[in-house]
Amino acid sequence: MLDATDKQILKEVADLEGIPKGAYNIRKNGKLLGREVSANINITTNEKGDGIIIDIKPGTKNESVHIPVILSQAGLHDTVYNTFIIGEDADVTIVAGCGIHCGGKESEGHSGIHEFQIKKGARVRYVEKHVAIGDGTGRRILNPTTKVFMEENAYAEMELTQLGGVDEARRVNEAVLGAGAALLMTERVMTEKDQMAESKNDIALAGTDSKANVISRSVLKNDSVQDFYVNLTAKAKCYGHIECDAIIMDNGKNQTVPALRALHPDAEMTHEASIGKIANDQLMKLMSLGLDYDAAVNRIIQGFLR
Amino acid sequence: MLELKNVTFEVPDADSDGENPHRKTIVNDVSFTFETGGFYAITGPNGSGKTSLAKLIMGINPLTSGKIVLDGKDISDLPIHERSNSGIVYGFQHPARFKGTTFRDLLSIAAGTDDEDRLVRLIARVGVCSLDFLDKPVDSKLSGGEIKKIELATVIARNPKVAIYDEPDTGIDLWTIGPMVDLLKREQKENNTTTIVVSHNRAFLEAADTLLLIRKGRIAYDGGLEGAMPMLEDLSVCTFSDKCEGENDVRCYR
Ligand SMILES: Nc1ncnc2c1ncn2[C@@H]1O[C@H](COP(=O)(O)OP(=O)(O)O)[C@@H](O)[C@H]1O
Ligand SMILES: [Mg+2]
Repeated sequence: MLDATDKQILKEVADLEGIPKGAYNIRKNGKLLGREVSANINITTNEKGDGIIIDIKPGTKNESVHIPVILSQAGLHDTVYNTFIIGEDADVTIVAGCGIHCGGKESEGHSGIHEFQIKKGARVRYVEKHVAIGDGTGRRILNPTTKVFMEENAYAEMELTQLGGVDEARRVNEAVLGAGAALLMTERVMTEKDQMAESKNDIALAGTDSKANVISRSVLKNDSVQDFYVNLTAKAKCYGHIECDAIIMDNGKNQTVPALRALHPDAEMTHEASIGKIANDQLMKLMSLGLDYDAAVNRIIQGFLR
Repeated sequence: MLELKNVTFEVPDADSDGENPHRKTIVNDVSFTFETGGFYAITGPNGSGKTSLAKLIMGINPLTSGKIVLDGKDISDLPIHERSNSGIVYGFQHPARFKGTTFRDLLSIAAGTDDEDRLVRLIARVGVCSLDFLDKPVDSKLSGGEIKKIELATVIARNPKVAIYDEPDTGIDLWTIGPMVDLLKREQKENNTTTIVVSHNRAFLEAADTLLLIRKGRIAYDGGLEGAMPMLEDLSVCTFSDKCEGENDVRCYR
């Protein structure tokens, strides 16, 4: 059922060697390739037929669900709308991701709209990786949208990673946090050649004692361009922090725009942002431990994007 | 044996009006031989050129003139990593802070292995670093003392022939200084490491076989600690502390 390219893509986007254990839904070139549900995790196709609904029963603990997408058909631009309902007090890991294999001249793309409804006290770890491989010259385009609605005391850790290969990426992340909810969102993006990546984030701290921490790590090689925008809006007594760092390796261009908006007097918000080359003192340190210049650069970037 | 032969380091300087306009001499014609397995302390006022000299040895600062010879081999033109691979390691006065890179990363680079057992044994050997440091990012959240301990551990992890520690005691609590001196002594004895410590701390000055006093980029004195005492006292800012602090529990915060 899986060919060699599929297997390679699954390995890269979801760390999978073949078919995963537990619940999964694998989509390939716009069609369902395989699905498995579990006693606590149900997956159904939505009414319009343009996506899936992943329904996780309240109280489900230590289960995971994998929903990778494989794209290897030239000229295909696939759009899906997936909804995740994470029941009260559940504690689960969701591994998503999209891998494009481009072998021809035509562009290929995927737009995934992921909506999360995280119910009271539920905890979710969401891991999303985007990769693109293949020798084709067609542009590989990934435009993910993530919408997160967090109820009271919900907790979400989201890791969004794109390390090379993707020519164009336009990401939109939106989140609304209820009372006591906490969101930790980490975005890691590496671009090279003439690739561009844009990320627009809008986080609303709506409930009392909600917390958000948005971390962005960007590496720009060659002539690539990355723009990162984040708006944190506080509507209650809450805590918010933004930390964005970009390393420019060659002639990359970067724009980092963190914005804090406090609409409540008890909001506490901070941000740190930096753009620059690899720090010289870090290079000197690793070279003094025996690494040559290139190896030192690689280790610093590796750590930075981890 | 590490030989410095007429080592000089100059930097461009717009204000200088001396005999050499537009150049400022930071390390001035220093010649000295560090014997293999010796314990040396380097001291001297702030800005006298101690760190600059250490960085010349590591290859971080470029030599303006002179030669550096390690065990008979001229290393003056070797880049930093090749000097490191020949056995010289420098522990920075102000260690770099990373983002994401952990103590485990640095230690495995230094030791050339990521084998868990070997890293744990290394940390036990260093002693001053706790095992829970291992997966901590070496970033700006670490305290001054913590990062200095990590820095020291990465130097020892390389089993250097020549180890240079630049003010290893900054930020370190009083109770750890003794064990740190013992550690460097033990490394010196067991591995015959040529040990060079830049410090103002009496504990290190006393531990050394030879003391080098640097002033204005030159070696103003080399020899035992006793012989250096008059010059060291002369360098202290105020010589009236006996009289003014007296017996009345008064301290000078000047
Ligand atoms: N690359 C450089 N460019 C200009 N000035 C320097 C450079 N490196 C060191 N200096 C100057 O040289 C002097 C000695 O510095 P340093 O070696 O750090 O002294 P110490 O370690 O003894 O306190 C200082 O005045 C410092 O500002
Ligand atoms: Mg110094």
